[in-house]
Amino acid sequence: MSHNNHFPTTNNVSGSPSGRRIGVYICYCGGNISDYVDVEKVREAIASTEGVVVAKTTMFACSDAAQQEIIEDIQEYQLDGLVVASCSPKLHLFTFRGAAERAGLNPYQYVQVNLREQDSWAHTDDPQGATEKAIKLVAAGIAKAKLTRPLKPYRLETVKRTLIIGAGIAGLRAALALADLGIEVIIVEKESQAGGWVNKFASLYPHKKNGQQLISSLLYELYQRENITLYTGAQVVEKKGCVGDFEIKIKTSQETVTHNVGAIIVATGFENYQPHQGEFGYGQTSAVITLPEFKTLVESSREKGTLEFNGRPIQSLAYIYCVGSRQPAAEENAHTYCSRFCCNAAVHTALLVTEINSSIHQFHLYRDIRTYGKFETLYEDACRQGSVFIRFAENEPPQVIPENGQLKIKVKDLLTAGEELELATDLIVLVTGMVPRENSELVNLLKLPIGKDGFFNEIHPKLRPVETVIDGVFIAGTAQGPKNSAESTASSLAAAAKAAALLIKGYVELEPLIAFVDVERCQWCGLCAEACPYEAITKGSLGEREIAEINRALCKGCGGCVPVCPQDALHLEGYTDEQVQAMIEALATESS
Amino acid sequence: MDYDALVIGGGIAGMESALNLGDMGYRVLLVEKEASIGGKMILLSKVFPTLDCASCIATPKMAATAHHPNITLLSSTQVEKISPLPQGSFKVRLHKKATFVDAAKCTGCQECEFNCPVAAPDQFNYGLVARRAAYIPFPQAVPKKAIIEKIGTSPCTYNCPASIKAHGYIALARSGKFEEAFHLIMEDAPLVGTLGRACYAPCENECTRNLLTEPHHLKLVERYNKEYFYLAREIKEGPLSIRRIKRFIADYYYARHPEPEYGPPPPEKRIDKKIAIIGSGPAGLTAAYFLAQKGYEVTIYEAEDQPGGMLRFAIPAFRLPNEVVDRDIKNITALGVSIKTKHRVQKLAELKAQGYDAVFLATGAQEPRHLKVEGEDLEGVVTSMDFLKDINLGRRQIDLSGKTVMVVGGGNVAIDSARVAVRLGAKRVFIQYRRSREQMPAFDWEIKEAEEEGVEFQYLRVPVKFLGEQGKVTAAESIRMKLGAPDASGRPRPVPIKGSEHKIPVDFVILAIGLTPTTHPFKDELELNKDGSVKVDPETLQTSLPYVFAGGDAVTGPSMIVSAMGQGKQAAQAIETYLSGTNLKDFHRTKPAPAVPREKVLKRQKYHTRLAPVPRREIPPAERINSFQEVELPLTEEEVRYAASRCLDCGICSECHQCVRVCPAEAIDFSQRDEWPEIETGSIILATGFNLFPAELKETYGYGRFPNVITSMQMDRLLSPTRPYNTVLRPSDGKTPDNIAYILCTGSRDRTVDNPICSQVCCMYSIKQAQLLMGALPLADITIYYIDIRAFGKGFEEFYQQAQAMGTYFVKGKVAKIEEKGDGQLIVRYEDIDHGGVVREAEHDLVILSVGFLANTEAQRYFPDNSLQLDDFHYIQQVEEDISPGKTSLEGVFVAGTAASPMDIPDSVIHAGAAATQAAVYIEKIRRRT
Repeated sequence: MSHNNHFPTTNNVSGSPSGRRIGVYICYCGGNISDYVDVEKVREAIASTEGVVVAKTTMFACSDAAQQEIIEDIQEYQLDGLVVASCSPKLHLFTFRGAAERAGLNPYQYVQVNLREQDSWAHTDDPQGATEKAIKLVAAGIAKAKLTRPLKPYRLETVKRTLIIGAGIAGLRAALALADLGIEVIIVEKESQAGGWVNKFASLYPHKKNGQQLISSLLYELYQRENITLYTGAQVVEKKGCVGDFEIKIKTSQETVTHNVGAIIVATGFENYQPHQGEFGYGQTSAVITLPEFKTLVESSREKGTLEFNGRPIQSLAYIYCVGSRQPAAEENAHTYCSRFCCNAAVHTALLVTEINSSIHQFHLYRDIRTYGKFETLYEDACRQGSVFIRFAENEPPQVIPENGQLKIKVKDLLTAGEELELATDLIVLVTGMVPRENSELVNLLKLPIGKDGFFNEIHPKLRPVETVIDGVFIAGTAQGPKNSAESTASSLAAAAKAAALLIKGYVELEPLIAFVDVERCQWCGLCAEACPYEAITKGSLGEREIAEINRALCKGCGGCVPVCPQDALHLEGYTDEQVQAMIEALATESS
Repeated sequence: MDYDALVIGGGIAGMESALNLGDMGYRVLLVEKEASIGGKMILLSKVFPTLDCASCIATPKMAATAHHPNITLLSSTQVEKISPLPQGSFKVRLHKKATFVDAAKCTGCQECEFNCPVAAPDQFNYGLVARRAAYIPFPQAVPKKAIIEKIGTSPCTYNCPASIKAHGYIALARSGKFEEAFHLIMEDAPLVGTLGRACYAPCENECTRNLLTEPHHLKLVERYNKEYFYLAREIKEGPLSIRRIKRFIADYYYARHPEPEYGPPPPEKRIDKKIAIIGSGPAGLTAAYFLAQKGYEVTIYEAEDQPGGMLRFAIPAFRLPNEVVDRDIKNITALGVSIKTKHRVQKLAELKAQGYDAVFLATGAQEPRHLKVEGEDLEGVVTSMDFLKDINLGRRQIDLSGKTVMVVGGGNVAIDSARVAVRLGAKRVFIQYRRSREQMPAFDWEIKEAEEEGVEFQYLRVPVKFLGEQGKVTAAESIRMKLGAPDASGRPRPVPIKGSEHKIPVDFVILAIGLTPTTHPFKDELELNKDGSVKVDPETLQTSLPYVFAGGDAVTGPSMIVSAMGQGKQAAQAIETYLSGTNLKDFHRTKPAPAVPREKVLKRQKYHTRLAPVPRREIPPAERINSFQEVELPLTEEEVRYAASRCLDCGICSECHQCVRVCPAEAIDFSQRDEWPEIETGSIILATGFNLFPAELKETYGYGRFPNVITSMQMDRLLSPTRPYNTVLRPSDGKTPDNIAYILCTGSRDRTVDNPICSQVCCMYSIKQAQLLMGALPLADITIYYIDIRAFGKGFEEFYQQAQAMGTYFVKGKVAKIEEKGDGQLIVRYEDIDHGGVVREAEHDLVILSVGFLANTEAQRYFPDNSLQLDDFHYIQQVEEDISPGKTSLEGVFVAGTAASPMDIPDSVIHAGAAATQAAVYIEKIRRRT
């Protein structure tokens, strides 16, 4: 690090009133912070703060070299508190806690100050103001660090068993992998049969693998293993406990069973978009069908060698793409996202149609063809084999007009200089996308986070793509967003890796930054227990007296109980009244 | 088993695979061929669609990987060979490249980098800027350790008989570090001034600049009868003036330091052993220098009254002034070496009796050959050696005023003798040589200078008799020769033409027909070869008497100064070993790493700027023939810096050793060599990544020809937090661009470049860059030319909508061609599909080619018999993609990330998780088996 080698980095604080020895590191973040915040000025402003022993600036605090320097400083100056002023703690809290720990400093004596999301990025128009704000934020961080104390995480032994919800291709594949790693698996499937969507398809793109066969091979493997239990027609009805040791109640048609599991993988899949009445003629005429419906027709026709609809051979058909996807944000409950798999699936289906009867005219009415990656060759093949692609503008979608028993489509084709085309086809296939499954009971039960698109949300798409904010609960497959089958299995295997890592270790360490009770003050009124969303507070006793008791495994440290206590008997570790007051004072002090 | 899993490639997929396996408790070895992990991701600005800073996401992964207790990280390491073992595990041969930095000592302080005088294109900035040969890849590198890029020895250095680091001092001279350059030369040879003037510079023969030719030079040539045609004639550009640069360095240093800056080694460093050196020529002086440095007591015995040997008495002062030799010799005597002149050693045993522990015999080759013809004993017929010694040592005054002087011979000594004769006032000086000019051993420039001074050359002639009157020569009788079949030396044998004898009146004859080793006094004590040279072991230079070593011309016969110095250096090493009591059988002199092939050097660059050498300048002939003043004029400092700047840095690292001097941790270690360790692993994850499409292959877009056409990766560097210019600018003139175009699908979805598939990320990263540019350059217009916008992932479509809302123009139409106007502006020709399909032209000041992915096929090489299957597009085949993504055709071998297919970062992370899980299952399987 040493972005700047020549500044005085240490104060002589042998007689400091607080007796604390704090190290402060202020990050340039490349230019993310330093483009708007005068980082050197911030350092100068806080360097002589009481208790600060080391104050440095750094290009990338998170870089390995900078972490090494922090570690060396902690050891050399015997620091007992660490402040890094960089980005959001969401990104790097654990990074610097880890550095502190490697240096022998208790990780809970580390305080992160967010100068990026909460300062430089928010005030790009006011560098001077951003710098002043940064000085105060860092001062507040120092004030808080001075009041930290060493804490120990709560260690909980884990149950070497995983619950997988959903027995589609994702759930089944993850189950096999975990079982092979010696972890017992419980699978809960809502339907009466395992296999999910893939089990419905005879031909999957791009390799034309038979979906039913894939599922049966997975089920065959599953039955070979003794450490997998599959419940079909079953639902999870209750969840207690926390990461490492959840207590799960499963209700089947016959019984209700309870299992303790260390981790949960949610692989509940998707729903197909259901067009509303009249959407491109859907529901008005039977000759407008969705892609899954058409796939069933195509697959049942492959053996027959002719493609018929309502007893009549199909001579021409049209696909309308992006039905239920890429909807304008202004529409109510719009699915603004692209459904990822549908272009590939539609083009693949067109190739199957050509195999049945190459003389069938196929028109593809699309906005952008998104046959990404190697799927491009499917699109190329479809073009070569005679499929006609017609591009319409977002604001001028095709119009479907039933006329004399036949269907007419009016569309303005951008590929032929905006020519108005009228197509008469025997069948219209609406290329419908994936939509999130209605799962509100499960969502409430597991407290699963939902993204803007309605699918389950990961913590971070790159850093932690299969993890959720609920520790020990992972998401896999299309429950997280549209995917094809290979992508679904990949994500389920990735979730399996995370679950395995958690359970093979044998224990988890839980955050000690949770609520604690001042037993002298508590008079057990029960208000806190009502306020706790995690059912972590129960009535306990201290001798004769009734007092509140916090379940360390369940408390998430949300702080919801603290303000409701009429006796001021509840506090939050890491956010004590003294700390918050000290921070407010530091923020309110005029900087020179 | 050494490891449970080997992960090859430290990009995001490799790190993620390793972390997953490490977290599951498996022992992982991660190898990365570059000096840092992080792959391409760490080089990106921000990532779509969240616009997180790529560093912020990659650095914690990098640090976590490096510090994970279950992960061992080997950077600068490649996999060479993987052999499956019967029990299901694998034997892997690795190639650990020497970095010349001891990673355990390096603190990453960058002092080496700041002081390195060699620049190389920065691969981590995609050639936008240069980095040093000693470098840390980028600020967030893990491990943050310097490495030195040294791909071999530069040909100049390699070809120096004394292993003087020519490339090194050229690199220092280029940066004006002349004192440092002097010290660097002194590491290998003490006679810097001498070499700067009189070295025949074998380094220059091997200079890669010699291979650069001017292909456009046309010459009108007549063929047959009046049939003219142009012949493309290649003119060689010519080597660096290495010797003249060295002369400047010596002169520069000596002008500032008339006396050496050092004295004898301190008493505590002295070794109680005495060494006698016979002969104070270049070999003896060099051996003395190195031995005295080590602390030995060294005495040189010199028969003449002045030290220097051939340097002083054979090379005339107009080529090598005496003061230069004197100053050079001070470099040796300052160390406490005593030179006993006028002391001819006759018996080696006497030296032994005097208490010397070892002797280095370096008596040179001063014995003249004789013509053995009649009249050779006449007065006025002298050998060149006698003649030159008389003049150069001032033993005798010879006045040749008005006389006709004949010189016989064709070597350097003959030419020197003739030129001395000119300066002594001779009326006419001519040289007779028995072969033709082509065979003449003297250098062209020597012949040219002699000719300028009026020396005549008579080829294919040799005297057969000297005639005299009163014992004094008056004429020579010569015979003409013709060239016959080649002799033992490979040169055509001169055959006398009978009856061609003719008489030429002469007043003075100098015979310069060769010299033989001066070893006669020792023939009873030492074994000699037939030609009189001392018989030695070629490696140790030890003679038949164990305590006597020999080198220089006494061993090799007449050679070059620098060769003699090389032998002196070699002997010093051997003598040191001998005196330390080590068995000389184990002695190996230090040899440089293999030379870099010059063709390979030239291929590194697409084209080279032509830089003419600095012409040699001399005192005009009319002026110089009247004195012994130095003929060659020195280069100016400006000329030296220009001349040195022509260096192509063949070996990359120049071995200037500045890093060695400045490294506070003493971490630089040039003795490091590549290693090939072998390990055994239970499973393998291939995370070898992808290659970017080389944009120059799409010729109609002009990349590489038009400076303002850049690639998207270069733009990502311009936008990244570690951006090279700290701003976005266009390359041709540094102007801030305000009308920027993106051309999607460059090298993707394009059968003309044999890549029919979509690269999956280009639409999105282009949209990302467009958004970042709009932030960085609020006034800039940004146009994206596309076929289809493929915003298919989670949050991508919304990200695309956002870019549209911000004002990015999206134009559906594949660009056919880019042309450049005079001012660097670019004309983009495209079909505007959404607006009537008309062909349009648009002007932009910067065009970014959104280059796609190409498969990296490297992994296939690791396995025997191409057993690793690739798919139609050369990516690693996933044999059961639907249920086991990442599984390859080989059991126990998995693929993660873009080695399998184009994919974005989230998909790579997921894919790596899948590969890691399956590798873990495989490890469990083979554990159960064993």
